[in-house]
Amino acid sequence: MSPLGRILLVEDDPKDVELTLTALEEYNLANEVVVARDGAEALDYLYHRGNFMRRSGENPAVLLLDLKLPKVDGLEVLQQVKSDDNLKMIPVVVLTSSREEKDMVASYKLGVNGYVVKPVDFHEFVNAIKELGVFWAVINEPPPGSMKKR
Amino acid sequence: MLQRYGLAVLSVGLALSAALFLESYHFRNVEVPLLLFAVAVSAWYGGRGAAALALALSFLSFDFFFTEPLHTLYITAADIPYFIAFASFASLITWFSTVRRRVELDLRQARERLEREVAERTQQASLLNLTHDTIFVRDMNDVITYWNRGAQELYGWPAEEAVGKRAAELLHTEFPSPVEDIRAELLRSGRWDGELEKTRADGTRITVSSRWSLRRDERRQPAAILETNNDITERKRREREIGALNEELAKRTADLEAINKELEAFAYSISHDLRAPLRHMAGFTELLQKNIGPLSEKSQRYIGIIMESAKRMGELIDDLLSFSRIGRAETHKTVVSLEEIVQEALSEARPDAGARNIVWKVGDLPASYGDPSMLRLVFVNLISNAIKFTRTRPEAHIEIGSAAEKPGQVVIFVRDNGVGFDMKYANKLFGVFQRLHSTDAFEGTGIGLATVQRIVHRHGGSVWAEGLVNQGATFFFSLAKSQGA
Repeated sequence: MSPLGRILLVEDDPKDVELTLTALEEYNLANEVVVARDGAEALDYLYHRGNFMRRSGENPAVLLLDLKLPKVDGLEVLQQVKSDDNLKMIPVVVLTSSREEKDMVASYKLGVNGYVVKPVDFHEFVNAIKELGVFWAVINEPPPGSMKKR
Repeated sequence: MLQRYGLAVLSVGLALSAALFLESYHFRNVEVPLLLFAVAVSAWYGGRGAAALALALSFLSFDFFFTEPLHTLYITAADIPYFIAFASFASLITWFSTVRRRVELDLRQARERLEREVAERTQQASLLNLTHDTIFVRDMNDVITYWNRGAQELYGWPAEEAVGKRAAELLHTEFPSPVEDIRAELLRSGRWDGELEKTRADGTRITVSSRWSLRRDERRQPAAILETNNDITERKRREREIGALNEELAKRTADLEAINKELEAFAYSISHDLRAPLRHMAGFTELLQKNIGPLSEKSQRYIGIIMESAKRMGELIDDLLSFSRIGRAETHKTVVSLEEIVQEALSEARPDAGARNIVWKVGDLPASYGDPSMLRLVFVNLISNAIKFTRTRPEAHIEIGSAAEKPGQVVIFVRDNGVGFDMKYANKLFGVFQRLHSTDAFEGTGIGLATVQRIVHRHGGSVWAEGLVNQGATFFFSLAKSQGA
């Protein structure tokens, strides 16, 4: 079995989390997903703060980021990650309900690596998540210093 | 000239004749006063030359006719004092008359000058009276000394009543700055202008644009102030109105901007929040289906309907959002080649047609002025519709071309031989989510033509359609013609 990278899923809606995990489960990618419920928690994870003080040192292989989040929103997290020398190599994929061009432009300006609008149709949704997971966590070679599952 | 010397000769001759005549009646010693009188008359009316001639002639006559020896021009020593007295008296009279004549001449010249000046002034004053502009003159004590017809017309006071009154009191003048400052400015620069509030005879207040010019006398002392007034009450009122309208406009613009922002936030929120529950409905229904295992046909159909509905609502939301985005987006207008745009639209819409038999006809299209991406959307919608509603035809005909132009506008049409529509529903074609066919017959959300109309309206054009049931439809829209095209 090829090594799996850790996926940090930043998503506040538990139903979306469940659907995403269900989609990833079908391809055995669910085990290595860490879920952050808002932007602040995501930053805590990335900076080994709060609940994540004791986690191992490596960065996740990919960050799946919702935009509309409580406390610290997705664009702020993205900006923080891309302006930090230790974090900016982490691939970030925005995974959002919004088709707003404004969000898309802002995300790309901040250096996002991908932008995916969650489809309403379940099959399309599952496909999108699957492909994201397979590409970023399996096919893509993550930057040095990322977590890999033995 | 001749008359003058003639006068001298005549008066001396007459005096001599009278003296000789009187002498013949033994009146002695009348010749001297008579001759002196003749010299005086010549000097008085003939001037210095005539006086000299009369004097010389009188000498000769006197010597010839009245001094011993008679009838000779011989002069005895005894005659000399006579002659001297005679000459002195004649000189005195001549001098007097010369002075008189000079004074008379000066007086006459002065009078003529005065008359000329009066005539000139009268003419100037009547010229000032001709103008409708308000002009009046005040002395340095603010007392009105001149008041033209324009002033009478503006203020309602006739000249007879205005002249002699103090201007500021008569007109209740309200100055924008202390009157001392205005006076100081006038004395320094010789002029002042500004806006003043004044009152008419009937009591109405008016605003005038006032110009003052200072007149100085020969000794450079301030003598009078010439003031011209223009009634700008109406202009000021309009300015105030325009100002108020501008304010109102700015407020409305701000309101609109606020509403637009709200609308944007609303659309953003719809975009994010409304789609999530739909996704959950669809997703969990799907999971439910898997979890339950084999289902009855009926249950299977219900689940299918739930998922189909969720999907359709997702499409409706997406269409509504993109429709509202067209209303909010800025247009970037340039000169556009409609032919290029149609080619782009065709390559975007054609895949919908699949392997169907469609005869395309694209005519010459003029250049126009508009936002290329929005105009492309117009053609994509119209062409997609044409493809969709000719689906039932074994051979579809779709034509794109330009129709007879309106002045300054181009008219474009897209014609098909599809299912057409009943003209009595033509007004419903362009409404949001208005559909003339059931979803079963022809899929769609009913946003396409509404989008077309909104884009065309945003370009200042109009959109209309002609059709017959089962005889095809033609959609027209007009656009501004490109300048120079």
